[in-house]
Amino acid sequence: MTYRPWLGTLRPPIFGSLAMGRAGLRLLLRRKLFWVLYGLALMVFFFYFYMQYLVVWVQQQASDKTAIVAGVPVRIAEFTKFLDKLNLNGTASTFANFIWFEGYVSVIVLALAGAVLVGNDFQHGSLPFYLSKPITRWHYLLGKMLGVGAFVNLLSTVPALVLFFQAGLLYDWQTYYLDNWKLFFGILGYGAVLTVVLSVLLVTTAVLVRRTVPLIMVWTGLFVLSRALGAFLAENQRLGPQWRLIDVWNNAYLCGLYFLGAERTSAKTGFDQPAVWQAALVLAGLMAVCVLLLLKRVRAVEVVA
Amino acid sequence: MSGAESLVLAQASKWYGSVLALNQATLTLAAPITGLIGPNGSGKSTLIKLATGLIAPTLGTVTVYGVPANHWSANRLVGYCPDHDAFSEDLSGAQFIREMAGLCGLNRADAAMRAEATLRQVGMIDRADRAIRGYSKGMRQRIKLAQALLHEPRLLVLDEPLSGIDPVGRRELSLLFEQLAASGVQLLLSSHELEAIEQVCGHVAIMTRGRLVATGTLAQIREQLDHRPQAIRIDSPQQAELGRVLLALPGLLSLELHDGGAVVRLTSRREFETHFQRAVIAANIAICRYEPLDDSAHAVLGYVLGGSGKT
Repeated sequence: MTYRPWLGTLRPPIFGSLAMGRAGLRLLLRRKLFWVLYGLALMVFFFYFYMQYLVVWVQQQASDKTAIVAGVPVRIAEFTKFLDKLNLNGTASTFANFIWFEGYVSVIVLALAGAVLVGNDFQHGSLPFYLSKPITRWHYLLGKMLGVGAFVNLLSTVPALVLFFQAGLLYDWQTYYLDNWKLFFGILGYGAVLTVVLSVLLVTTAVLVRRTVPLIMVWTGLFVLSRALGAFLAENQRLGPQWRLIDVWNNAYLCGLYFLGAERTSAKTGFDQPAVWQAALVLAGLMAVCVLLLLKRVRAVEVVA
Repeated sequence: MSGAESLVLAQASKWYGSVLALNQATLTLAAPITGLIGPNGSGKSTLIKLATGLIAPTLGTVTVYGVPANHWSANRLVGYCPDHDAFSEDLSGAQFIREMAGLCGLNRADAAMRAEATLRQVGMIDRADRAIRGYSKGMRQRIKLAQALLHEPRLLVLDEPLSGIDPVGRRELSLLFEQLAASGVQLLLSSHELEAIEQVCGHVAIMTRGRLVATGTLAQIREQLDHRPQAIRIDSPQQAELGRVLLALPGLLSLELHDGGAVVRLTSRREFETHFQRAVIAANIAICRYEPLDDSAHAVLGYVLGGSGKT
């Protein structure tokens, strides 16, 4: 065994965050459960992908043709009527709805990811390894957020962009891309909102809760119960659309609709929606609370093995 | 920065709630390898965490080459090998080391190069592609050591680095520590393996009940314990003459003659040795063995902690 001096240079700590983000993503992707859940999320994508193709094919190839069903002639276009609600036509609603549906799987995946990415570091005592490297605690948290953010984008933004490019190829691609270039940036904007909100929220809850089961309970409360409660108060009790603001996912959805250029009244969660600025304000407030909690936690944490 | 001391604790105290874990510790690393010894709960781990910036002192200061130890840039100068292992068990040793290299700020090419170099240094290069979950305790120790060496630290803090390593591996790692020290890296090594500490470390720092009670070489510390008689075994074929000479020397507390030699107990070893050399030369006595019996790390630690010298 010999000691060989190395004369390279170390890059700034932000590169440590990037490395931690990559490592976190690899950590998730090494688990079979995440591939199963990712496969589940991709089923939503494949549904949109093939149905978008089917709708266009029916419109272009067989819209005026009829088929005999139980002796009754039915226009083939009628068969795809049930898909109209999903707006499978490459419009803003297509991508907003797609990301909305992806949310159901995302919430489950992220609840598990929080425990794997952050909770385990606290529980198993990995922190001394990370924090003895030339990074600050904020770089550590940023690295974890980057890992979560990358996974969120793999679940939502990337498939939505694939759908956007597919839609262009189904229609006159030059016209579609030129007319709808704002949708491309809208998808990126919606993705950015989800990335920031979900990664900050997940890292905060994981730092505070740490264990998988309580984390899933908190996460379910945030995304499922708040949605049900918001809808109940706004629709059943008619207390006003502002009560929907307690639904975090709906707030992100409204921001997404804004980025995509769609009217908030077209929201699939009901036409009576709070204003976009209100939703954005609630999300910003939530992020501020998360940062304050992280700040308190980061200052207080003592790395005691 | 180059002129600054590697690690300086100045009146550093650390409270955990109402528990005082470290009480006004003052220490400057002077030797290439310093051993940190003390019983469980004496504050060794707290001192190590302060040195590596994992915690901040409640009072006092801790600096590494002039930089506050809990500033991120100090970690560029410090390598830390924790006592416990908490790896991602699915990873191979090489993957783990490369990930740690990324955290140090190394680019992909440098990370791969440094990972290979450090794995080779710690003798794990041929087993680096196996999953960590299949590693023995000793292999895990080596992997921990490899990750601490990745960024070429100038100060290496090792918490129980020899725990669980077989005698051959222990010898190899001791050699590595000596090589690192020879190349200018300073080592602070905490261990319960007192023989290993004695073998490897030039200096020791002894802790008990949150206080740093003694620092220096074992001989220096033993010398300071003048209230504890020092025992020396001296063997000579001229036992009777040896006995007569010894009885005439100052500082002798007791003399036990036995087959082939004698065991003396002294108030001051230094004073005794000065006179002893002259006396045996003058009397022309052949000495075939001269062995201090209680200046081992075990004995010194025992005396410092208030015991009999047997730990």
